[in-house]
Amino acid sequence: MPVINNLSAINLSLSVIYILVLSFIFTELPPAFNALLVSLCIWNLAITLLKRNKPNAILANTLAGFSLLVLFYDVGFGDTVTLFVAMLILSSLFKLLQATTKKHYQTITLLSFFSLSTVYLFSQSLFATLIISILYILNFAVLALIESNHNLKIAVKSSLKLLLLALPIAIFLLLLLPKMPAFWQLPGPKLAKTGLSESVDPFDIAKLSNSDELVFRAKFDQQRPAAPYYWRAIIHDEFDGKTWLISDILKAKQVIGQNGAKRADEPLFSYQIFAEPAAKPWLYGLQLATSTHKDVKTTSDGLLLRKRFLANSISYTAQSYPLDITQLSRSVQYQNVQLNLAKDTNMRSQSFAQRLYEQHNNNDDAFYTALYDYFASNGFSYTLTPDPITGSNTLDQFLFNNKRGFCGHYASTAAFMFRSVGIPARVVSGYLGGEYNEQNSYLSVYQYDAHAWVEVYIKNKGWEIFDATAVVSPERLNGSLSQHTQLNNEFTSNLSFGLLRLSNIAGFNWLRLKLETLDYQWTSWVLGFDQQKQTSLLNTLFGNKQLWQISLMVIATVCLAFICYFVYLSWPKKSPDPKHALSKDYLKLVSWCEKQGIVAKPNQTPLQFLNYAAEQKPEKRMYIEQFAQLYSDVRYRQLVFSSYRKKHSKDLIKLIKTKMKRKL
Amino acid sequence: MQQTVQAIIDDLSGVIYGKQQQIKLALTCLFSQGHLLIEDLPGMGKTTLSHALAAVLGLTYQRVQFTSDLLPSDILGSSIFNANKHEFTFHKGPVFSQVVLADEINRAGPKTQSALLEAMEENQVTMDGDKHALPSPFFVIATQNPLYQSGTYPLPESQLDRFFMRISLGFPPQEAERKLILGQNNRDYDRLPVRINAEQLIAIQNKISTVTLSTPVVDYILALVWATRNNSQFANALSPRASIALGKAAQAWAFIDGRDFVTPDDIQAIFASVTEHRLGLNHDTSSQQLNQLLNDVNVPL
Repeated sequence: MPVINNLSAINLSLSVIYILVLSFIFTELPPAFNALLVSLCIWNLAITLLKRNKPNAILANTLAGFSLLVLFYDVGFGDTVTLFVAMLILSSLFKLLQATTKKHYQTITLLSFFSLSTVYLFSQSLFATLIISILYILNFAVLALIESNHNLKIAVKSSLKLLLLALPIAIFLLLLLPKMPAFWQLPGPKLAKTGLSESVDPFDIAKLSNSDELVFRAKFDQQRPAAPYYWRAIIHDEFDGKTWLISDILKAKQVIGQNGAKRADEPLFSYQIFAEPAAKPWLYGLQLATSTHKDVKTTSDGLLLRKRFLANSISYTAQSYPLDITQLSRSVQYQNVQLNLAKDTNMRSQSFAQRLYEQHNNNDDAFYTALYDYFASNGFSYTLTPDPITGSNTLDQFLFNNKRGFCGHYASTAAFMFRSVGIPARVVSGYLGGEYNEQNSYLSVYQYDAHAWVEVYIKNKGWEIFDATAVVSPERLNGSLSQHTQLNNEFTSNLSFGLLRLSNIAGFNWLRLKLETLDYQWTSWVLGFDQQKQTSLLNTLFGNKQLWQISLMVIATVCLAFICYFVYLSWPKKSPDPKHALSKDYLKLVSWCEKQGIVAKPNQTPLQFLNYAAEQKPEKRMYIEQFAQLYSDVRYRQLVFSSYRKKHSKDLIKLIKTKMKRKL
Repeated sequence: MQQTVQAIIDDLSGVIYGKQQQIKLALTCLFSQGHLLIEDLPGMGKTTLSHALAAVLGLTYQRVQFTSDLLPSDILGSSIFNANKHEFTFHKGPVFSQVVLADEINRAGPKTQSALLEAMEENQVTMDGDKHALPSPFFVIATQNPLYQSGTYPLPESQLDRFFMRISLGFPPQEAERKLILGQNNRDYDRLPVRINAEQLIAIQNKISTVTLSTPVVDYILALVWATRNNSQFANALSPRASIALGKAAQAWAFIDGRDFVTPDDIQAIFASVTEHRLGLNHDTSSQQLNQLLNDVNVPL
């Protein structure tokens, strides 16, 4: 059996790799299974550090069988990607627990490369990439350790070198190897846990989920338009008495949605969106958005949806048109949906709305304004941590008793009141505002910027936004929630620990913004480098060629490069003979002498040759002798070849080479 | 110190005419603490040179004429029964002097040759289990006739290797020979002035070890040594002992030349003397072969 040196270093490194991999994917796995994996890691560490024996085969196999049961029971078969990732990591850890021979460790190292890569299924951020790259280096080092007697430091160094050498090839392939359409697609890995959902029921939650996860970034082509930015994502048009949902009719309409047709008129503005991977297909746009990106479809309501590749980040250009140019759906059935009230609920609100409507002469416009006034003047306040309202008639309770709530409460209530008086209304959820980065002039929108508002159809005017937040907490309309001064305390205490939580401290805020900018660059340059961008790059490089031609050219180039490299490697090399600077000067002199017909004999030493040259060129004798003196001083006496001597040498050569002027 | 060395060379030149190069080589050998082998035809002045060397360095010396019936005890000494004390006392042989002139060393049998060469290697004589240290400094200056001469026992390679240098004098220039015929030379080497004593000699030897051997010079030695190892022309390749000897000899040569650093020229000057006998070259063709070697090896810049 081949002996493995550095066994403890190998064990330790592999354990560290798996612990760090787990730290990235633990949110995807159920807690019990996480605990199992962590304890396996700790067991491995303990065996190494405390020098205990590895478990025998019977114990390990029993445990493995048991763990598999836990896996199937706990993770389940619903999400096959997570299941297989979990299985891969579980088996690798058990293998590590039992590994004794070189072959075992090689297998584990190989598995680790796959385990490391699975992290990208769940996170593609710059931070994750950095950590995974470091772990790749470590894993390569482990592979080297298995084979050699070097210590970890040397192994890491050589694996780092390996990775740096591979980097140019990787960049080359990323940029130029044409991206082929995927042969298969991941069956919807679970992504962002937080975010928008299909149904809005604000009343049964006590705390708004305030994740500081990035949702998307937006960069305007021209001057950015004035705030507020209502990034529309979902329209909820069906109300069941408590919850706002997406009606089947609307869902059906979204399915038919197509790529945005170019409109004849000029858009209000156009912008680029870099959207992070998401669990749901909704994308984001302002007002009535359209996009011609081939993976984005546009609905007739001006919403954008992903066509496929949920797990990818996507960057697309969108154009926005005024919201009020869309007409109310002509279908009677659908008009009813938009007026549906869930009869016999929230009767107080209904009658109150109807009374208010009558007070304003059944005028839609006047009612719209009156409702704003009502929310502004009746002691409503904005909070991120409202008291939960349970039971039936939640809207009544909120409107007349509680009066404390966040966007969802106001939107839900307002939409209900509009519908009570026969004005078509719908709740729209999406994001409001965003943090503006001055340096690179883009907006970052985070999960905590999630917002809900109402769109009402006013006769003769079209769809209008009604957002009670605008009067209850006007500051919220500008910028991001994180920049909201009034809600700051509430906001930060809501967040999980992170840099944002410390953003009150100037230094941390600076750091956060810097990291944020870096991540923007990463997203827009690396993750956002999609097929479309590549095609345009390839077109500029190769002209308008067929994809297969370009592929062939790129592959041929890579092959050629490799062949050149291997030919270079096997080429008989001249011994690396770093010449002394003075020796180079001497050689210059020799080649000059050769031109003058003074040829060195094969066994002549430099000094002999210089002496000979001095005899042949009596007019230069003095300089040549000085050079010989300098040469023996530096090369044989080992005096320092100082800058003074360097200059002296150059001067002498110049003097020797220049033709003597005949004296008149 | 330099003047002393020059004076020694001048003195010796007064004894051996027209052989300044050989005189310098002989001094180089002694200054490098090496034993010297002088090989030439009879009557070329081998013995004269060795006598003069010993005299001018002010060292005690003994001459041993090697013959085929010479026994080891004739060189090393022997234990003789002292009847008064009823014990054997060791009577030191001629080897117990600072310079031993071993004349015509290849005329003695192998056993006797070995006895001397062992003493040279170990700087001591072991007789009846007692160790007797040889004086310091200790030099052997041996002369030998070319091997094709009758009545010679060639020294084996391993013993030749003990000699730091082998030189041959060669015929004198005509002008010098003319003086010899006219009896104008100073053959009375006993009356040569003593220029240095043993302490000064040791001081010179120490000084020589501080002469700078720079990288290109060492590279040159290595290149030459490896050229003999990669060349089937040479029966015996140069050993590391030969490499060391080349370095030391070059240092001594540079010192005699009045420099404190070695140049590749010094290596070329001493190369033949240091390597010829170690390479097992035929005396007649050696200079051609060595020239070829020097031509083949580029001088490192």
